[in-house]
Amino acid sequence: MHPSLVTRSGRSAWKGPYFVAFPNLREALQNNIPIKTQARSCTILPNFVGIRFMVHNGKDYIPVQVTQDMVGHKLGEFAITKKRFTYKLTKNK
Amino acid sequence: MVYVLGVLLPENQLTRFALTHFYGIGHKTAHRVCARFQIHDRCRVKDLTPTQLTSITAFLSSPSTAQPVQRVPLASPTFGPKLGPITPDTQSTPTLKPNTSGSTSLTNAKGGNDPLRNLKIETELRREIRENISHQRMIGSYVGRRHAMGLPVRGQNTQNNAKTAKKLNRIDRW
Repeated sequence: MHPSLVTRSGRSAWKGPYFVAFPNLREALQNNIPIKTQARSCTILPNFVGIRFMVHNGKDYIPVQVTQDMVGHKLGEFAITKKRFTYKLTKNK
Repeated sequence: MVYVLGVLLPENQLTRFALTHFYGIGHKTAHRVCARFQIHDRCRVKDLTPTQLTSITAFLSSPSTAQPVQRVPLASPTFGPKLGPITPDTQSTPTLKPNTSGSTSLTNAKGGNDPLRNLKIETELRREIRENISHQRMIGSYVGRRHAMGLPVRGQNTQNNAKTAKKLNRIDRW
């Protein structure tokens, strides 16, 4: 991760990035099991690369495959919470 | 008609306002650039000497490789005019010569305290913005999506208007 990302985030540098410790990180990487999580504000750390996540979007869990470029972003950025409006015909007129 | 790096600077404007015609230079940066080349506040573009113009051009074409600022030490509290007959001797000048040892510490490899070292203007800045947007789009983040949709990125309302975003937000901005 870029060292200045922490300082640019508006968070104190001594705190470091905000992240949630996943206890099952190593197994997930080995067995390619997706980690189901609701921690949308967790920063993607360099050791998350290659892991599959199931990130909660408020309703269900969206699959997110972490790549190298995503490091420094938050998990929630990759699970959209908004549903596009689609017009449905009313049944009873 | 004064052109600097292809940008037309109005002749009758004060230099520190004329410099804001560059994309990426605002009032603050323009003032700093003026200070660097000892251009006073009331100096208009037409009053600039050719030397000053060339030095500005040289600086703006590549701020990162430009010569570091020469630091002149301040006079000490005990400094005072010398009494007696004024002779143009060279003995009194060494006290105010540029302090070479001090300037090296201020301009280290990363540019040190020099705020203009990482200045980006015009095409360079535009390219950086375009790269940032395409990076967001490539990794498929929310920001990238909103750019692709031409909608506000930072949670503004979209029920009405969102005019600026519709005008500007796209993947290929320039």
